Amino acid sequence: MSPEPVQTRIFEEEILSVSDVSLSFGGVKAIQNVSFDIKRGEIRAIIGPNGAGKTSMLNVINGFYHPQEGLIRFKGKARRRMRPSIAAAQGIARTFQNVALFKGMSTLDNIMTGRLPRLEKGIFGEIVNVFLQAAYLGPARRSELEQRKYVEEIIDFLEIQHIRRTPVGRLPYGLQKRVELGRALAMEPELLLLDEPMAGMNLEEKEDMSRFIIDVNDQYGTTIALIEHDISVVMDLSDRIIVLDYGRKIADGTPGEVQSNQAVMDAYLGVPHE
Amino acid sequence: MFYREAGQFKTTYKSDQALFPIAQDRYFVIGVVLFAFLVIPFFITDYWANALLLPFLIYALAAIGLNILTGYCGQLSLGTGGFLAVGAYASYKLMTSFPEMNLIVVFLLSGLITALVGIFFGVPSLRIKGFYLAVATLASQFFIVWLFNKVPWFFNYSATGQISVPPREIFGFLVTGPDASPAITYLFTLTLVSIFALLAKNMARGNVGRSWMAIRDMDIAAEIIGIRPLKTKLIAFAVSSFYIGIAGALLFAVWLGSAEPTEAFGIDQSFLILFMIIIGGLGSILGSFMGAAFMVLMPIFLKNFMVDGLGLQPAFSEHVQIMLMGVLIIFFLIVEPHGLARLWQIAKEKLRIWPFPY
Amino acid sequence: MMFFLEVTISGLMAGVMYSLVALGFVLIFKASGVFNFAQGVMALFAGLTLVGLMEKFGLPPWAGIMATIAVMILLAWLIEFLILRRLVNQEHIILFMATIGLAYVLEGLGDVMWGSDVKLLDIGLPQGAVDWLLDDYNLYVEKLEVAAAVTAVIMVIVLAIFFQKTRIGRALRAVADDHQAALSVGISLRTIWVIVWSVSGIVALVAGIMWGSKSGVQFSLSLIALKALPVLMLGGFTSIPGAIIGGLIIGMGEKWAEIYMGPIIGGAIENWFAYMLALVFLLFRPQGLFGEKIIERI
Repeated sequence: MSPEPVQTRIFEEEILSVSDVSLSFGGVKAIQNVSFDIKRGEIRAIIGPNGAGKTSMLNVINGFYHPQEGLIRFKGKARRRMRPSIAAAQGIARTFQNVALFKGMSTLDNIMTGRLPRLEKGIFGEIVNVFLQAAYLGPARRSELEQRKYVEEIIDFLEIQHIRRTPVGRLPYGLQKRVELGRALAMEPELLLLDEPMAGMNLEEKEDMSRFIIDVNDQYGTTIALIEHDISVVMDLSDRIIVLDYGRKIADGTPGEVQSNQAVMDAYLGVPHE
Repeated sequence: MFYREAGQFKTTYKSDQALFPIAQDRYFVIGVVLFAFLVIPFFITDYWANALLLPFLIYALAAIGLNILTGYCGQLSLGTGGFLAVGAYASYKLMTSFPEMNLIVVFLLSGLITALVGIFFGVPSLRIKGFYLAVATLASQFFIVWLFNKVPWFFNYSATGQISVPPREIFGFLVTGPDASPAITYLFTLTLVSIFALLAKNMARGNVGRSWMAIRDMDIAAEIIGIRPLKTKLIAFAVSSFYIGIAGALLFAVWLGSAEPTEAFGIDQSFLILFMIIIGGLGSILGSFMGAAFMVLMPIFLKNFMVDGLGLQPAFSEHVQIMLMGVLIIFFLIVEPHGLARLWQIAKEKLRIWPFPY
Repeated sequence: MMFFLEVTISGLMAGVMYSLVALGFVLIFKASGVFNFAQGVMALFAGLTLVGLMEKFGLPPWAGIMATIAVMILLAWLIEFLILRRLVNQEHIILFMATIGLAYVLEGLGDVMWGSDVKLLDIGLPQGAVDWLLDDYNLYVEKLEVAAAVTAVIMVIVLAIFFQKTRIGRALRAVADDHQAALSVGISLRTIWVIVWSVSGIVALVAGIMWGSKSGVQFSLSLIALKALPVLMLGGFTSIPGAIIGGLIIGMGEKWAEIYMGPIIGGAIENWFAYMLALVFLLFRPQGLFGEKIIERI
């Protein structure tokens, strides 16, 4: 594994802030009054026991769930509810806990879908686009080739050239997770949300994935928020960590601070709740 | 042996993105198209055109249309018959209201009108999914057929309630009406169908097609990566209905010559075309052609076999024919649920490594 | 006012028929996820078989019904053996298309075996109007329709008891909830499918008898399946109470529309009115009448 990260990475600019967000489904309170921020360029981890509300938190950030209370501020713009496609257009990409690839399509096509929001046009442009695509003429052909070039760079970066034409449904789990990361990268996100990127992987695959995450952060300067259960990976990778338990934030700080926090120990080791 | 891609190296993305990257495929398709355009017209008879080739081509076009919506975009529709009717009646009204209008323009406009109707009936797809949507599309099917039966304006107040195509020429050749020669109607239909099949293939393999397939495979994930579901679905509804509308116009104006809504555009048509894309292969343009060929040829074979071969009474053989059709459909679904296009693909893969099994 | 009441009652009675067919749909969809398009043709087939057995072999009605039930059970077994078990784990659309194929087979088979002319079905159900309602209130209600409604109510009660109280019923509900989990506790899917298709076959027979007694056994009987589909949209594909209430709403709404709206916009609207009604309703409540609000997860 990579050596102990340099503790002194300092980030100034805030890219996302979540303030006093609460989310409930009927009577079930999934998230209660959670606030935190994410700084541009950092790797931020969200950890906590099963059912702590981690995935719900990501769903709130990218607009899939609408919180009943609180505000989310992304790149200075505040909002409570929005459509996921708009969050995507603003630069938030994500991967999923249970791989959510398009099973009927090849690796290449899956990653190419990540380019689609980049090509959004108005309703009129969209109609023109359909005609150009159909005739495979001029701009349509050029843009297709440009995207292919960009996507091929991601394929090289993730070392998945050999499975380019394979339908993703046939790939092993570890590779599917990698393709999913590729699809998110193709969106050129400013904020990348990773939901358990290493779940179900063996040690070697985890090391590969950690390397990709660090490289993405490093080369593209992408801000990353990730959920992960493997604590040693989290401690190695992340700059700051949020700990959730039963929908509440119980700790927030650097790996060192979180590790020595009593509430965190209790949550993980199972002190009975009042 | 002959089907090898060894030695065909791609050095640019452009050549890799070509329509048929493998040379043999390219030659084969060019050969078929040349044969269809240059050889068949010299031998075509009335029977061949009206019983086989025209229905095959027109249904293939309709099947491509439905395949775009159901096979590529995953929205199950049972309203195909209604959209065929819209295309047919649009072409009828255009031809009778504007006798001078060029026939090509008539067909394109019929497609566009059907596309607008398709968008209208596609709006519920944002909230209604799966079989609920399929049943909802039946609403359009029944409503449209009812409308064309009830409102006399659509059939120009004719006493029978039928519509009959007026004779029209294009470049001096008679294309519609009872006196049109089979070679001309065939060539006209073939040209339109080939062009639109090519366009559909281009859409399917580009960005538009990818957004459709993303919605089909996992609509929630598609939305989260930034694909807008309503827009994508409506484009699919529009393009699909456009194709079906043109097929409907051809079906009425070039093939049948006259039509009556309940018979020609009933729910049985919807099912027939749905069978074509499922037996041919969902999400495959080639499969649409194969499925159309299968569903056009099978009844003819069955009928010939039973009436001429076994000497059954025609009325009795009709019931047996329905039954056997059901049996054959079930048999096909069990043997190859992914359709004829998949069989073709498997055959090609075997051919590539022949004479070795793996 | 009396006229309005008459219209409403006749609408409700028609609705009972739709409910019966919808019930067959729901049973099969719940237990196997198959959208059985052949349900209407099954009603036709059952009706034809009953008439055929009674005519050709001179069976009394009760024996004819018993024999037809046996035929429907055999049919269910054949469907499971020849079709369903070979299409396990296929996509829903494939199974749906297979049931359309099945509809063709049954339609052809019924005609080949018993001929395609309209047949009268008389198993001794009461005919004519209910006298006291006609005399005292001047209200015309068919005895046959009352019989149909009573039969439907009895069927629903029997089914409810079957589902709630018996071992097989519990297994059925388990399968409806989660196929995999049911398999893992040792419930045999195949047995369940045969049972469900048999029960649906019997429901179809009841629908066939009721409809056949009223207007003869003929091809149009199979078209009531198309009437049951909007009922499913309204009530939900998996809800038995939904099928009943939905059927009544559709039956009633359709009759009202036919009488009060039909003359204005040109008549013969019963083909599509029910669909529009269900469609508009679904736009506002996508989960149907009795469905719970869907929480989408990812």
